[in-house]
Order: sequence, then structure tokens, then C-alpha cells
Amino acid sequence: MTAPATSRPAGGPARRLRRPRTVTGRRPGSLAVLVITTLLVLVPFLWMLSLAFTPEEAAFGSARLIPSHPTLDNFERAWSDGALGRAMVNSLIVTLIAVVTNCVLAVAAGYAFALLPFRGSRVLFYTLVSTVAVPVSVTLIPLFLMAKTFPLTGGNDITGVGGTGLLNTLGGVVLPYLIMPMNIFLAKQFFDGFDGDMAEAARIDGASELRIFRQVYLPLAKPLVAVVAIFTFTGVWDDFLWPLVVTTSHDTQTVQLALTRFLGSGNVQYGALMAAAVLVTLPVLAVFLFNQRHFISGLTEGSTKG
Amino acid sequence: MPSITPRRRAGATAAVLAGALLLVSGCGLQPQRSGSSGGDASSLTVWWPGTNQAEMDFVDDTVVPAFEEETGAHVEVTFVDWADLSPKLNAAFAAGTAPDVFGHGPAAVADFVVNDRVEDLGPYVDRMDPALREDISASLPGGQVDGTQYLMPLSVQGTLVAYDADAFTEAGLDPDDPPTTWEGVRDAAERLTVRDGGTITRAGLLVPSNPLGAQQSFAGFLAAAGGAQLSDDGSTAAFDSPEGEQALDFFAGLYGGDSPVADMLGEDYVNMPPNQQPIVKGDAAMAVLTAPALQQAVEAAPDKDIRAMPPLRFEDSDTPAMWGGAGPGLMINADSPAKDLGWDFIADLLAPDVSGQYTERIGAVPVHASAVDSEYVRSSPVIAAFVAASPSFVPNPNVPGWTGVRDALDARIAEALFGTADPSDALSDAADQVDSLLDAG
Amino acid sequence: MTSSPTATEAVLESGRTGRAPRRARRRRGRLTGLWFVLPAAAIVVWFTLVPVFYGLGLSFTQYSPLGRTGPRIIGFDNYVRLAGDADFRQAIGVTVRYTVQVLPVLVVLALLLAVLANKPFRGVGLFRSALYLPHIVSLTAVSMVWLWIYSRDGMVNELLDLVGLDPQRWLHEPGSALTAVSAMRVWKALGSNMVLLLAGLQAIPRHLYEAARMDGANAWQQFRYVTLPGLRPMLVYVVTMDIIYLSQSFAELFVLTQGGPLGETTTANYLIYNEAFQHNELGSASAMAFVLFALIIGFSFVSLRALTGRKS
Repeated sequence: MTAPATSRPAGGPARRLRRPRTVTGRRPGSLAVLVITTLLVLVPFLWMLSLAFTPEEAAFGSARLIPSHPTLDNFERAWSDGALGRAMVNSLIVTLIAVVTNCVLAVAAGYAFALLPFRGSRVLFYTLVSTVAVPVSVTLIPLFLMAKTFPLTGGNDITGVGGTGLLNTLGGVVLPYLIMPMNIFLAKQFFDGFDGDMAEAARIDGASELRIFRQVYLPLAKPLVAVVAIFTFTGVWDDFLWPLVVTTSHDTQTVQLALTRFLGSGNVQYGALMAAAVLVTLPVLAVFLFNQRHFISGLTEGSTKG
Repeated sequence: MPSITPRRRAGATAAVLAGALLLVSGCGLQPQRSGSSGGDASSLTVWWPGTNQAEMDFVDDTVVPAFEEETGAHVEVTFVDWADLSPKLNAAFAAGTAPDVFGHGPAAVADFVVNDRVEDLGPYVDRMDPALREDISASLPGGQVDGTQYLMPLSVQGTLVAYDADAFTEAGLDPDDPPTTWEGVRDAAERLTVRDGGTITRAGLLVPSNPLGAQQSFAGFLAAAGGAQLSDDGSTAAFDSPEGEQALDFFAGLYGGDSPVADMLGEDYVNMPPNQQPIVKGDAAMAVLTAPALQQAVEAAPDKDIRAMPPLRFEDSDTPAMWGGAGPGLMINADSPAKDLGWDFIADLLAPDVSGQYTERIGAVPVHASAVDSEYVRSSPVIAAFVAASPSFVPNPNVPGWTGVRDALDARIAEALFGTADPSDALSDAADQVDSLLDAG
Repeated sequence: MTSSPTATEAVLESGRTGRAPRRARRRRGRLTGLWFVLPAAAIVVWFTLVPVFYGLGLSFTQYSPLGRTGPRIIGFDNYVRLAGDADFRQAIGVTVRYTVQVLPVLVVLALLLAVLANKPFRGVGLFRSALYLPHIVSLTAVSMVWLWIYSRDGMVNELLDLVGLDPQRWLHEPGSALTAVSAMRVWKALGSNMVLLLAGLQAIPRHLYEAARMDGANAWQQFRYVTLPGLRPMLVYVVTMDIIYLSQSFAELFVLTQGGPLGETTTANYLIYNEAFQHNELGSASAMAFVLFALIIGFSFVSLRALTGRKS
């Protein structure tokens, strides 16, 4: 079930069709497609932005994208009670821990599954990845019990009895995110694109496996690490059900929980909700912007990849 | 997986299964009798149902400080959005970390009771001031299972028909003398419906028909026809009856037949933003609404004269009835070490002046009969209509497994409304499903 | 790095060879890979796999999380009941339909955008961010906007009105509800798919394009014979990820349609959630979950065969 390495490209037709265009040359047509798609994709978000600046009583009142009386009240209300700020700090701590563990351990594991296979590694790989296909509804309570009986935390003894373990702690929140199996899968697919010859060459020179990983392959895997960082950050930042059950106080709430404060049943505060939602996307957007620079096109780089 | 031969694979699977069963039976899922967090009686944890801003502010700024001052105890209140209450409570009860006091709607109470998770509040209610107990007596049955009090409702919920008085006048109807029967409402709706070719541009009457709304609407019609959803002992379905058929025929007839008077089938118009409410926008002349939604609609349409109709009945029934009854309330965890403190917290909320302020903040219907004389009720004709209608509100039955029963009934009702099933078939199918669910429970 | 330049250069020049890496297994370091895998595997086993087996065990029991007595073993009863459960059958059908109608649109669009956003130009980061935005914006908040977009006087009906068509009840007619939600799902997942494919495009060696151009390949031929084969590992990942996540869809349906009308948008995972947390039946919820699990694994397997089976 693994992807075979690619075969050499078959040559095109024998006759020259025309002189190749410069690599960076863009046809106006493709740029137009990109611009139009981007604008379409942005429409719902622009409405959110518009609602965030619209006075509460006028929400959804007019079909205008630019609010007639823009106001910052919603942002003030969203931020005022401090719950959102506190939640952002909590979410940042949890996401950063998860980003580090995934970028280091999951990437290393994926590398080994692709290029350093061992006896039983395929079975292990499929077992780890297949856990993602089990709906979280049924693993939630078992995981909750494990967090509660985590040894030597929250008043527990070595056998995990006596206290509340990791419940209502940031350590408890981060548990299921420490390694996301999909990141191992992603890393394996990425390294599947390489072959073992570079490692062979380095082995002949007597380099250790760790060193081969760090100095030969990791530099080529910048886009991979960037994607793992982005996806882990986004995934943890957006997750809801686990933080919902594992936290009980403001001190450990995450951002998605803080947003529910504006969802009063039959009394949604649209303006404040949108303002809070906009504020909450900013850190993720920053992480994305920072990381996407690693997608510097291979077409422009002098170095080649193989 | 080439490295495992079939025989070894079967062995591995069996081992895994055995291990899993051992795990399940062996760790973590034993009966939990441990105390909740906040293990002494000087602190109290409360999970409050819903995240209504006005409600949260009132609890945080008024109720909690007063209570802490009065008792010297520390209270930690966590507000949980309605949709998220059940996962949170389930996990907490499974692990024995549930709060001392928690809230929910009446529909969930029986499952807590059957699992011995909530305290019998009867003794506490008995010790209440008799006058106060009498004052809130109308709301109490909604919090009872088999006659025992487990939940103390904080407000009364219910639905009434809201109508646009100006539209009545235009159509030659008297807004000061609205219909008193559903047949009369249907006739009025015929006259109020505006059509453009085959499509309705203004609905004569809107009734909730969204998932779960459909079941509540049906329950209301059924009660107005003199029927009941379950038998008196709660063991079998009772809606597959002539009354049930009358109710569902009427309900489905609003959307189908030669001259439908309702549209928005399946849409949750009740929870739309106030300025999007059909009755506010003039997309409907009459609409069944809850008290907070109706109150917000009145405020969102200052140039309209929106009123609430008294409870309705069908012509061959003698008692008017609408769906409603006890609203969300609070329960006490049976394992809480701070039960008395928990009751004190609930009792504070039931004090007439606190309760009055509370219901006014959230635009809900007070639990106190005496509230009819309060400034809040007198200044709001809509709320006054709900208070007056309180005795006619008929709640859903409190039986274990009710949520499953409700969902099954709701799905079959929807089939009748969309016309994919005949009403009588839908009812008998639903009755079969409900009976087997009640047997299993 | 002390490797001899010639060896490494030779490797770099050779690009990919046609050999699968695992065939190049060395005697030396047969277990080295295990050390690389161990930390991650240990964490996944402990915090993911154990709860999964726990859940699997629960599927053979009757268990209410509220109960005081723990799970009661009832063998295969939950599974037997599911076999005759019409609502569950319908939900599986909805799940399959939803996955099948979102997946191709999503992957093809994302591939197009990734190719377009791969070429460097001033401001390309902004385009990428804008396309990624839907993926990171709070679903609860943005779903209110989508509810409004689809509403009677919403944007979609306004546009229809411009061209003289009647308004539709997008989210409330059994015929259109699932498609309306699908459109939102495509919108939401487009950015993440694009980002993955962008990363995949980075791994394609430049000299392959140069060689193709020397052979006179036009843009389409370069895409067909260089880009697509080079992207294959990432496409495998993207399709598998989409299948796994789409088959477990729940949140967007919960906020847009509550599973209605007539259960046309009630996915299997929606039922599982309700069974576990509304009906407090964790045992039968687990049984449903593992039936869905088997379906997802089977579905992934078939699509991967289709993706990787065709050798170009």
C-alpha cells in the first residue's frame, strides 16, 4: 500500500513545440484564476470581519459588506472579561509544546518508517496511523480516565489513585496532541520521495544514522517541518471536545472554549463572537505566515533535491 | 500485512480483544463513589447550564458574591454551553469528578436518577417556607421523576403563538379577540397567508419543525387534543392514538394539502437573530415562539404590534394546553460532600427577589406565581401572557432513556411533515421504536 | 558532514531511482529505525492506542458513563442490533455520499491552487494565507455566516435572483442540504489540502523539469509526466487524510443542519456522538464507531490501490 518511488518521466513528444518560457514567467490567465478564487474564498471571512465591526443590534440587518457605523465595541466586549486573553496564553503554551514534540519525534519516526525500515515496522506504522480513523466520541472517556489516573500528578500516588491526575491542567490538555499519528504518516510520505542512496554515501563515509538524518535529510525536509508545525498548531488550536471535558476552570480554558461564552442559547452575541473569532485566528495566521516562507519554490532555488 | 500469517493474525486479534476486555473490566471503570472536587464543605463547584451573557453576569456579579458573603464558602461556577453539557458531565461522572451542583434541562434528569447520580431534594423542599413552596409549586413537577424532586427549575419554559396585530386588522380579523382553538388559528392563517403563485411570501402560521422542534410542536398539539406522549407509568408509547393522529394531521396539514399556510419546514426560526425573525421581517403573521425569542422580537420591531395568544385547544377537547413546563434547573450530585451548601446555593436563587431579577435579565418566565404582580411582568405584556399561561404548559415525560425516545419520535414526525410517510404510519412506526427503546431501558 | 563529495554529488545527480527504499535494507542498522520510532510510537500507543482498545472492548458491553456498576459484557449484541438499524444504515449512506462528493472536488481544486501558488512572485504568501484562512477560522463563528449565506434572503439566493431564478431552501430541502454543507466543507478544507500539495511540489527535483523541457514537453506534459508522478506520495497522504477526516464529519453538520432534514445530513459520526453523549450509551456508540472504522480503513485501502496501482 505504499507509494512506489516514481519512475523517470517519460519524454514528451519528439518534436520541439516551442522555446520554453522562463521559469518564473506567469501567464496572466493563471494569475487571474488565483485572484478570483482567493476573493471567493475570502467572502465568508470578510462577512465575519464586517460583523465584528457592526453594532450588535444591527447584526445581519443589512446586506452590506462595509458596516455603515463601524465600531470597536465588539472587540472591547470580547476582550474585556479577560477570559479570552487567558485562554490565548493557555492555548499558546499547549500548541507550542505539541509543535515541538511533533516536529522532532513525529518527523523522526516518519523518516525511519520510510528510510530505515525494521522488522515489523509496516505493521507498527499502519497500527499507529489507523487509530486516527476511530471517532473521538468513543475514545474520549477512556482517555479522560487515563488522564485522571496519571501517576504522581494532581495528588495521585504511583499507581494513579488518590487525586485528579492531570485533569484541569495544561499537561492534561496536551496529552492527546503530543504525537499526532497523521504527522508520522505525513513525514513518511515525504521521505518516501527520497531514496536511500544519499544515506548510503554518507554511511560509506562512516557517518552515524542520527547525523545522516540531521545533516543530509533534515535540511531537505524544511517544507515538511513547516507543514507539520502549521498543521499541529492549527489542529491543537482548533480542537474542542478534549479541552471541553478535561478543563473545568478559567485557568486552563483554551480559546475554542472561550468562544462558547458568546453562544448563549437563543441569545448569540454575533458581534462579540465574530470579533473574538477574528482575534483568535491571528496567532495561527502569524504561525502560517512565518512558516510558509519555507515553501520557497524549488524552481528558483539553485540547489537541487533528489 | 505480509509479516503475519493468518493463524498468527487470528491469535493476535484474540489476544488484543482479550486484553481490551481485561482493560475495560479491570481498570478505571469500576463504580466511583469518590467525592467530587472541592472535597470539603467550605467550597462548592457549580456547572451552570448555558452561556447567556446576561445570565453569566448576574450569577458572577450578584449571586456568587452574595452567597460567599453569607456562607463564607468559596464557589467556583463554570458556565457550559448547552450543546456541551452532556459530554462534559458524562466524562466527569465516569471518572468520579463531577461537580457538587450542576444544571441541565428536565429531559436529562431521569437518566441521572436511574443511575443514582443525583440527590433526592424532597427533604430540602419539605423544609422550605410553605408560602414560598406554594409560590413555586407549578414548576416543581417538571423536575420530578416518579413523584420525587431531583431538579429545581430556575425558570419556566414554554411556547405560545405570537401574532402581528396589524396583519390581523388588515385581514379583517380582530386582534383583541384572537382565536382560542387550533381550528380557529388555522382559519385565521388561511386569511393571513400571502402567496405569489405557488410560493408563500408571508406565512399565516409558523410552527417549529426543525430537528427536536418538531417533537415539541407535536407534543403541544397532542396535549391540546387531549392526548399524552407516554402511558401514565411511562412504560409504553401513548401517542399512537386518535388524538395523536389528529395532532399530526393538523401539523402536517399546515405544510401540505391544497392550501398550505406554513413554510420554513425544518428551519430553526426560533433561534434566528431577532432582526431576522420572520414575524419581525413580515415573513409571517403568526409564529409559535418561546418567551425570550418573543420578547426579543418585540424589542427588535418597535413599529410592530406583536402580541401573544393565550393557550389553545382543539375544538373537541376542553382544556387548552401548550408544550412547556419546567425550564432548566439545578441538581445536586449524590456523591457531593457539600450537599447542604449546594442546597443553600439553589435556595438563594429561588428567593423571590433574586429569582425575579434573574428571570428579568434573561427574558424568561418566572417560577413564582406571585411574580405576576412584579414590575417586570407587568411592564411586559408578552411575559405576562406566558406567566398567565404557565398552568397550561405540558412538559415532556421524565423517563429514563427519554432522549433516545425523543429523537426517534422526532425523526418519524419529520417524515410525516415532509410527506414521505403517512401520518398514521409514522405514528405506528414511532410507537414500535419507542416501545422497544423503553423496554431496553 | 564528512561524506565524500563525489558520492553525494552522484546521488544528487541521480535524482530518484526506481527502487523502493525498503528494498535497500542494510544489515547494519537493522534496528536503528526502531530507536527513531520508539519515542513517538510509545506516546501514540499510550495515549491513543490504549483508549482505542478500551473503546473496542466497550463495544462488546452495555455501558452508561453515568452508571455506577461499570460495563456489562453482552458479546456481539450491539453489532447485531446495528445490522438491523435503519437509521444507522442511512447514516452510513450519508457518510459515504458526503465523502465521495467532497473528495474529488477538494483534491482537484487544491491541486490547481497549489500549482498556481507554487510559483514565486511578490505577495504569494498573502495568497497562500488567504486560501488557508478558512481552515483556521472558528467553525462555530463562521458557520453563522454560512447559515446566513444560505438563508432565504442570503447571498446565494440574491445571486440567483440576479439571473432570474427562484430562491432555494439550501440547507432545508432533503435534495440539497448535503450538497450545501459539502460546499462549505470544500471551502474549509481547501487551504490545508493546498498547503500539503505545496510541500509536495517542493520535493520535485528541478532538473526533471529541465530535462522534460529539453525534450520539448509543454506545460501540460510537464505536469502530466513530472509533477503528478513526483506528487504521488503527497497525493496518497492527502487523499487518505481527506477520507479519514471526511468520513468522521460531524461538527459542520451539527452547526448547519442539526442532521436534518429527514436525516439526510446525519452522518455516522453524528449518530455516534448522540449515542455516546445524548443517549448515554457508550457501548453501542463504540460498536457504531468500529463499524465506521472498518469502513474508513476499507475505503482508504481501495482508493490507495487506485492511486498507486497505476504505474505511469
